[in-house]
Amino acid sequence: MRARKRLIITFLFPATFLYLVFFLYPAIRAFYYSFFDWSGFSYEAKFIGLDNYRELIRDDLFIESLKNTLTIVFVGGVIVFGLAFALTILLNSGIKGRKLFRAIIFLPNVVAVIALTTMWSVAIYHPRFGILKNGLAYLGFESLSRTLWTSPENIFESMLAAIIWMNVGFYVVLLMAGIDKIPHELYEAARIDGANELQMFYRITVPLLWDVITVGIVLWSISALKIFEFPFAFSALEPSPNTYTIAVYLYVMGFGQRTPIYRLGYATAMGVALVLTVVVVVVVLRRVLRREVIQY
Amino acid sequence: MKKFRLLTLVLIVAMLVPVSTGLTSAQEKVKLVYWSMWNETEPQARVIQSWIADFEAANPNIDIEATWNGRQNQTLVRTALSAGQQIDLVDQDADPLAGGLVQEGMAYPLNEFLEEKALDEDVPIREVFTPGTLELFAVDGQIYLWPYIYNTSQFWYNKNAFAEADAEPPKTWEDFLSVCQKLLDAGYAPIAAESDIQFYQIDYLTYQIVRYKGVGFLRQTIEDKTGEMWRDPVYLQAAQNMRELWDRGCIPPETKGYLWPAGQQTLGVGVSAMELVGSWLPIELAPIVEGSFEWGAFNFPEMPGGVGKQGDLMVYLLSFMIVKNTEHPREAFEFLRFIMTKENMQKMADEALVGVTRLGVQWAEAIQDGATAAANATAVFGMADGSVAQYSEFVNNILYVNWSKLFLDELTPEEFVEKMATDAAEYWKGK
Repeated sequence: MRARKRLIITFLFPATFLYLVFFLYPAIRAFYYSFFDWSGFSYEAKFIGLDNYRELIRDDLFIESLKNTLTIVFVGGVIVFGLAFALTILLNSGIKGRKLFRAIIFLPNVVAVIALTTMWSVAIYHPRFGILKNGLAYLGFESLSRTLWTSPENIFESMLAAIIWMNVGFYVVLLMAGIDKIPHELYEAARIDGANELQMFYRITVPLLWDVITVGIVLWSISALKIFEFPFAFSALEPSPNTYTIAVYLYVMGFGQRTPIYRLGYATAMGVALVLTVVVVVVVLRRVLRREVIQY
Repeated sequence: MKKFRLLTLVLIVAMLVPVSTGLTSAQEKVKLVYWSMWNETEPQARVIQSWIADFEAANPNIDIEATWNGRQNQTLVRTALSAGQQIDLVDQDADPLAGGLVQEGMAYPLNEFLEEKALDEDVPIREVFTPGTLELFAVDGQIYLWPYIYNTSQFWYNKNAFAEADAEPPKTWEDFLSVCQKLLDAGYAPIAAESDIQFYQIDYLTYQIVRYKGVGFLRQTIEDKTGEMWRDPVYLQAAQNMRELWDRGCIPPETKGYLWPAGQQTLGVGVSAMELVGSWLPIELAPIVEGSFEWGAFNFPEMPGGVGKQGDLMVYLLSFMIVKNTEHPREAFEFLRFIMTKENMQKMADEALVGVTRLGVQWAEAIQDGATAAANATAVFGMADGSVAQYSEFVNNILYVNWSKLFLDELTPEEFVEKMATDAAEYWKGK
């Protein structure tokens, strides 16, 4: 028994050690520094208690960033999963070239984010030369073609559409992998009993996919809450405040973009707030999505 | 015999000592660590690489180890310095550098070095700099930054478009509006702009306030902890002037949707005719402009009843900085003195096609008007009237955001003034 314990400890030690040194310790230090006014240029920092957190509540840009982030998580999430389900059903309906279509839908996941943001902001949304403008005009939607997709009032929604497009493929693949594991006999039996496609989807596919859906929603929520690259790169030279997410605003405040703000203590408080938001969202989602797992 | 042997030994040792110490000193090279804001393959980096090679050849006891970090250089330097890493020399845009490392007390004072002679010249090195550039970010008379690249903020325009519209570079705001109308009549969208680049948009406010009230007024307003200075009628006037440019069609409506570089591209392809921006624009647009395209630049016009002169010029300087804790300030200075020779600065101007801070260097043809403006500047000031360096958070989170909303018609001029006054008071209350 003792030998077994020793073996367990030996195997667990490297990973535990790395986790403690490179994740837990920095995380605790970050939490500690969130109570300081600290520029990050030296170890000199002034203790200010909860002032950074109080400032967060009053900070309009932080509130805007939080609102944007939560919109991506919830509105974006509903659309991502809605589209992912629709495409999954379509691809499983027996169409030819299933694998090819799946690969095409997944493609944005293997392309560099900067290339995708450039494609969307320049090639698609450009107010003069964009595909969207010229395409809509060609199809006769003159009024719609004059929409300025990247103007301040539309830029966030335009970016959200691009983020959704980029992410749908991953969840399609995830759902399809889950669906592939559902025994065909269940569908055949349902067909014999006279069930239509929609009934089979709600009565067989969704219940048997529930654990995959839960994992997918949690994965989406975490990645959307901390989304950084896409909003940061969407307006190429500097991120637009209209598209700030918490992670982007954290970066602007802590690491200086064109303006040398360098408030690492405040940025750290934002990081702590982000972690807490992730924890709350994930816990709530896990509770809401908790159902009996069906074995098959 | 014994004495003879001893004497011989002493002589041999005596002869070897200078040789060996000489060898030691030759082997003891100084290593300067330089962290750069450039990416390794950029033209500016190529020139700096050649400077380093030439400097090392001329000073065999000094090696320069360069790290090409790109624009996030200062952030990386911050982390490295706080971890105790040796860095002797860094470079970055002067405004962020002044507001970052200099403000944190991590820069080496340069005043004494600047009194020394320029390389192979009989003048103090400070006299080879274009006037105003060295002192721009001085703190209590002490100079910490060594500017080497000089960008001017002006209206960069298409000379052919102006000729076609029978327009001349304007001197006053009234002339400027008239030029806009002529360009509109000739079928041009007069002014190019970007909807997402706030540090370009703010130049319209900065210049107007500098022209109306003189250099320093905007900065004083930012420093006003009550926020009441924002209610000065000049800010409402400046905001109304800005909106007037949109209302008259000088800035086309679709500009609200231009994400950089979409706006400036319209200038490059001949749709628009001018843009208020730094002198890097001709270089950025070089790949898309036609061969016959002729660049010109004029300073922001004078405002009616204003005290500021048209020669007062906003500049974006790129600077070197010696890190305070360096063990080799002399060697770092020797390198900086070396790069300031006319020959070396000319190389930067010719190969990277940028303006430089050294007097008497010919700038590239496309930015000649920038060189003229720099040479004739009646005063120079930094981004947002020098406020970016000192009040970066206020500028980024309040001034930029509110002016951008006014610029893009999300706030009326009256709302802009009110928002600035209340946001400023709120900001300073929390400090």
